[in-house]
Amino acid sequence: MMFVRTLVLCTKSYNEMTVLTPRVEEIVLESGVQEGMVTVLTRHTTTGVTVNEALECLESDIQTALALFAPEERPYCHARMLRDYGSTAGNPTGHLKAMLTGNHCHFLIRGGVLERGGAQDVYFCEFDGPARREILVIVEGG
Amino acid sequence: MTIDIHVHPAFYEPINADAAREELRHCELDIHRNGLAPLEHVFNQMRCASLDRLCLLAQDYSTQMGETLVSNEEVAQLVSFAPERFWGLASVDPHDGDAPGRLEDAFTRLGLKGLNLHPGRSRFDPADPALEPLWAVCERHDRPVLFHAGLSWEKDTLAEYGHPLRFEALAQKHPRLRICLGHFGWPWIRETAMLLLKYPNVYADTAALYFDNAREFYTQCFTRDIPITWIDRSLRHQVMFGSDNPRFEQIRMAEALGTLGLRDSTLELIRGENALVFLGEGDGA
Repeated sequence: MMFVRTLVLCTKSYNEMTVLTPRVEEIVLESGVQEGMVTVLTRHTTTGVTVNEALECLESDIQTALALFAPEERPYCHARMLRDYGSTAGNPTGHLKAMLTGNHCHFLIRGGVLERGGAQDVYFCEFDGPARREILVIVEGG
Repeated sequence: MTIDIHVHPAFYEPINADAAREELRHCELDIHRNGLAPLEHVFNQMRCASLDRLCLLAQDYSTQMGETLVSNEEVAQLVSFAPERFWGLASVDPHDGDAPGRLEDAFTRLGLKGLNLHPGRSRFDPADPALEPLWAVCERHDRPVLFHAGLSWEKDTLAEYGHPLRFEALAQKHPRLRICLGHFGWPWIRETAMLLLKYPNVYADTAALYFDNAREFYTQCFTRDIPITWIDRSLRHQVMFGSDNPRFEQIRMAEALGTLGLRDSTLELIRGENALVFLGEGDGA
């Protein structure tokens, strides 16, 4: 079976990290799936989903490291009027950071619960906020 | 107080319950893939851009479209949800014979603070004598007019109607009528500066981001197309921050304004004090 829920977030900052683990665990419980997999997948290209230890210091270091890779003040090509949008693109760093974190993660479900390592948490990463964001939580199994 | 004088609320969630109306707005404005903005998101965006107030613009091309794109009532409704954060500007279709009456109603009953018009979309000349009744309503209520000027990305628009010279006769004939050339009349930046220099009742907003990123485009427009000293020394009381959001990037444009080398006192004028004077909300002090 497949059980899908959409999480909606209104992010508040340009860059921010939000722990999703409790909400993902609730959805796994709600699904009733005992043995299977869960996928957490962002629907956007300037956001990411990653797994790491939920510590304030690490969040800061992660943001700093991503900013080293994609600093704001560079002559990016993705800074122009986009005909398909009718608006000007100004979020190249968001796209590049999203490429590094990836857009999804998977976890095993055993005995009806999310099986994760002791330090593992699921993060939603905003790289072009504030914005209204949607994240799919897809539970598969039986 | 910091103000964005040029915001289009066409995709604000509370006025988009009707999916057909939302689709019409995407089509007519040629803005796509942007989704709807809950007010919570709008407020988050304002905080990130350090903005206290937004001026929300109605858009009325009803004689062409058969309905208003963003009605005065919808703008007034949005203002009622957050009167401490929003002001509203009315719009009427100049070709509508009842336009003066509807504008009077927007000022008196709905409490809107000015008039927003798009000559390039509605195909009119601001100097047309037939529009005198509209200007009379504005002058009687001491309300300003914000014109779309320069290039327009909207459907069925012609830039020739937005050339700054089209507005000179109106500015000259009505020295008590405050008018704003939206988008700084881009690409006619120098011509817009010329009008501002000669006519103290003419203002311009910074709602332009047609190439590159916000810093690069503002640098081009306001330090190369014209030297920054023109604004900082001579036009500092007539330029207002505007973003044209959601077409352009409010947060990055607000940030870019601070990087141009303007005096702090000039920045304060552009970021809010000039808009207060333009809107008749005080002396800006």
